[in-house]
Amino acid sequence: MAQSFDIDYVIASVPALIDGLGMTALVSALSITFAIVIGLVGAGFRVFRVPIVEQILFGYVEFIRNTPLLVQIFFIFYGLPPLGLRLSPFWSAVLALTLWGGAFNIENFRGGFVAVAKGLREASQALGFNRLLYLRLIALPLGLRVAIPSVLNTSVSVLKNSAYMQAIGLAELTFVAMDRLSSDFRTLEMFASIGLIYLVLVLFLSWLARRLEAHLQRPFRTA
Amino acid sequence: MFKKQGLALAVMMSLGVLTAGSANAQTQGLPPLPDAIKKQGMLRAGIKCDYPPDGFLDAQGKNQGVEVNLAKQIAAYAFGNADKVELTCVTAANRIPSLQGGKIDVIIATLGVTEERAKVIDFGESYAWGHSDVLTTQDSKITSLKDFAGKTVIVMKGAWQIGWFEKNVPTANLLKLDGVADGLQALLQNRADGFAHDVEVLRPVAKKNPKVKLIGEAYMLGTRAVGIRKDEKEWAAYVNAAVGKAKKDGLVNQWIRQYVEPDMQDMVIEYWDMNKAPKTAS
Repeated sequence: MAQSFDIDYVIASVPALIDGLGMTALVSALSITFAIVIGLVGAGFRVFRVPIVEQILFGYVEFIRNTPLLVQIFFIFYGLPPLGLRLSPFWSAVLALTLWGGAFNIENFRGGFVAVAKGLREASQALGFNRLLYLRLIALPLGLRVAIPSVLNTSVSVLKNSAYMQAIGLAELTFVAMDRLSSDFRTLEMFASIGLIYLVLVLFLSWLARRLEAHLQRPFRTA
Repeated sequence: MFKKQGLALAVMMSLGVLTAGSANAQTQGLPPLPDAIKKQGMLRAGIKCDYPPDGFLDAQGKNQGVEVNLAKQIAAYAFGNADKVELTCVTAANRIPSLQGGKIDVIIATLGVTEERAKVIDFGESYAWGHSDVLTTQDSKITSLKDFAGKTVIVMKGAWQIGWFEKNVPTANLLKLDGVADGLQALLQNRADGFAHDVEVLRPVAKKNPKVKLIGEAYMLGTRAVGIRKDEKEWAAYVNAAVGKAKKDGLVNQWIRQYVEPDMQDMVIEYWDMNKAPKTAS
């Protein structure tokens, strides 16, 4: 019953795990990108309190934040077809993660925009800037820098949450691992391997974000 | 291996009969309960929760089914109380890791006997047999297994149909899902051309749901047994004897009549009769 750690088994599983890793990376990259777009646009609407749109976005954020992701995934995969929208496992996964990450990013970016000093907004109004100009020239460059850590946090969560997609049969990393497990039963090796892979992925993502942050901080650095 | 166990079992059972006078009526004819299980004070069994009539949840969310009753009966033999059992819902994919990880002590969950599995766990004696079929939508033009070449087939993660399709219809695209409800849902939403599973599960589904039908081609003939961790021979002998006793005493057939619709009872009773199992495996 006591099995020793079988490194040969891990090596033999590498090709399958790489396939899964590719799918995880693709789904995560798409979802993170779309979620950032949703976050930026949504936060803009919320900061300027655009009527109706603001209420809709508020409802959307609350709905996503207060329901389990797995329920959202099943709703998209199994619940939407009767309403006439049948998405493949891949696009169901991208949609679920984008909506999830987008909701959190709206709050992240909103927090960033709100952090921009009120005086700057008043000054921009005095100079005759319209809302869009203020957003583009003042709020975005300053607020973005404030929002980066929390947006990174959300992006890391999107990547990790892609593991839920094994429930709808998407062949991402966790799915591949579970699939191999169901015929090989080397639990320890498999979960150790994918744990390590997720760790490396997240560290890489964090490194990218730190680079971006350092780049954006350059104008403010004192010699 | 099974033969040897069978012999040991026969010896133990005859010993049990010889000493019947001293044993209590409940455990009559059963080998001694291993100390580890006795100390635990209850049986921890992995059973199915989406596989009527063997293991499913009723409207109140309570575990029901032939295999569920079998697990309770083993607890009754071992501890004199059918409630001394901790039932854990397992799936085809997680039942063996659950056993290996020590979460449960026995798998009684439609576990098919295969060579790969025998490498990591021990099987008890086969207690039932069956074969597989494929469910399609009512308007499907597919009539045989070969027609699935290049098509998408839903299978349960970790189910033995996967190996069969990979070997015999390698061009079929397999959509692997977690449970029977997911599989049926996905089939009805045309996410795949067929849903391959054990015929015992698919037949009631086909009967209840007018939108689907079975292609009616039998494949993957196999037998089912309890799963036990390797090197727990004493425990395996006990479970084997308990299952054998439940069958011999007619309890299993009684449960089948309780859980299976009347017109299918005879079929299921046949599946639980190893003497009726076809001799050639495919």
